[in-house]
Amino acid sequence: MNTAWRDAAYTNGYEFTQGAGYELPEYPFVEPPELKRGEVLRHRVVIVGAGITGLTMACCLAKLGVPAVLLDEDNTVGVKGASSRGICYTQKSLEIFQRLGIYERIAAKGIQWSVGRTFAGQDEVYSFDLRQQSNFGLSAQPPFINIQQFYIEGYLVERIYGLGHVDLRWKSRVTGFQQHAGYATLVVDTPAGSYALEAEHVIDASGSHTPFHGWTGATMTSRRGDDRWCIADVRFKNHPPKERHTWIEAPFNGNRAVWQHLMADDVWRIDYQMEPNADPEYVSREDVVRERLRQQFGPEVEADAEIVWVGPYAYRSQCLDRLRIGSVFFMGDTAKIVSPFGARGGNTGVADADNLAWKLAAVLKGRAPASLLDSYHEERHEAAAQNLMVTNRTARFLRPADGMERTFRNAAISLARQYSFARPLINTGRMAMANNYTKSSVCDRSGGLSVQNVTFRWADNNRGTVNDLIEWADGDLLVLVFGDMSHAAAQRLRQLAGQAPVRCVQVVGPDTQPQAREHVRDPQGHLQGACHVFGHAWALVRPDGYLAATGESVDADLIQAIEQALGLTS
Amino acid sequence: MKTNLHFQDADAFYEQLLDAHTGLSREQSELLNARLILLLANQIGSKDVLAECLQAAKALPA
Repeated sequence: MNTAWRDAAYTNGYEFTQGAGYELPEYPFVEPPELKRGEVLRHRVVIVGAGITGLTMACCLAKLGVPAVLLDEDNTVGVKGASSRGICYTQKSLEIFQRLGIYERIAAKGIQWSVGRTFAGQDEVYSFDLRQQSNFGLSAQPPFINIQQFYIEGYLVERIYGLGHVDLRWKSRVTGFQQHAGYATLVVDTPAGSYALEAEHVIDASGSHTPFHGWTGATMTSRRGDDRWCIADVRFKNHPPKERHTWIEAPFNGNRAVWQHLMADDVWRIDYQMEPNADPEYVSREDVVRERLRQQFGPEVEADAEIVWVGPYAYRSQCLDRLRIGSVFFMGDTAKIVSPFGARGGNTGVADADNLAWKLAAVLKGRAPASLLDSYHEERHEAAAQNLMVTNRTARFLRPADGMERTFRNAAISLARQYSFARPLINTGRMAMANNYTKSSVCDRSGGLSVQNVTFRWADNNRGTVNDLIEWADGDLLVLVFGDMSHAAAQRLRQLAGQAPVRCVQVVGPDTQPQAREHVRDPQGHLQGACHVFGHAWALVRPDGYLAATGESVDADLIQAIEQALGLTS
Repeated sequence: MKTNLHFQDADAFYEQLLDAHTGLSREQSELLNARLILLLANQIGSKDVLAECLQAAKALPA
């Protein structure tokens, strides 16, 4: 096998850089107290890797006031000189970034899109407009924003510096690991020398090259195909439409697939499927890349386009069997690796971090037992397995095995040109969405669903969002009670708020008289819809914007649901 | 999955199926079959019935 094809998750390297590329920020190395004082310190949380996942984890913890150390071997985001990795961020990720306080910057820099088109040959065979899908329409965040990953990482770094609580340690490479009872020892190499530190919880977000798999004896299922791609990130003066275009069989690319997608700074990602036996050095040569662009966009592309970055890559799929081993929690690309189709890599890393952060905060603040942390594996492994299944299906459609797999693809494409029923068979990537949790010990069967960041009215008629309520709850569970309550129910709710780590809010319609001091109005029923309940009901919402459970009356079922959500019954 | 007779005219369908393949190359025949399977599968719709049909097709008699 030709080893010069980088894995999908390794594409933060680059073959050459044309034009201005990007200037990335650099962060200072500060000599840590362990080296200054020459002693081994123990930390509650140590995060390894300042990519999008590790930084989201750090920012979530900082927001909740939980001290942590973040170790990164580099001193910048992305990779020096130029880099493009993830480009497409889902509504759920954007809702999380809104809570963390960086959404406005992402929205200002990034590009919104909602239309996707799929072509076979010259014909459009399938298109979608996410704005027409009602499930996307109610959130304060759009269906997707495209932006270069390093921008988000840079915003997170600045936000973490602003929030405090997290010690960002750059130029700090972890070179050793030892698990003890209840904590682990890490050896860290820095420009000022090596030191050891102890961590009660290690978050491995160091990416697909992680050494922790070997150190912890992690087991996994892994699969590698022969599909080969080559990215050209191109800055256009006259740019293509702000839509996601995919070709299953592009006449301008030897009838192989092509992706055309947009990013910030007028940069477009054109991703070409190559022959399985193609030479990566050849396909990423500048004149060869330029010829591909000419084939696609015509001769005028010569004056119009500047190549920002080129990266040939291959992909594999991989999923750990356990996302927690001893003190170590795996997240992002260390937990699973998927093909890039459908933006299910970075977005699930962000969700991994958001899932563990509030649980860790609740445990460290003594509001939940340590067993709550076991639900991280249950929930995020289910999500990883789901994302692996979905992306593998896409990969198989895009690179069918010779023989019947290709015959069935030809059948599906030809039928899609004729009949609408066959269009959904055309699989150029199923866009990521918030995964449901159906196997979690801390979610009731009525829960496990994401709550969209919809709007409602505060008691003073100002506009509020679900994220405002989550922020107000400050790491505690949120009990929303819809409709009017009996006197006894209102009293039980008051007692509950005094005794358990929950915040209670009554949600009433435009004309109902509220009984609870803490109440909001939901004139259009959006909040109720987002919580997936109808009529008189309660919804138990977690700090990660997921439903733990829903129910009808304020009684023992609600108490039990709270205990379950905090891991007290597992 | 139905295993009892549901065809209105089994002999006629069988003949139409063979006629459709007459004169086709192996590759053309395979594409025709694949298109037909996808069209028929959409008529059935139910994922459980489709899964049962796939299982039944794989299980040759001993």
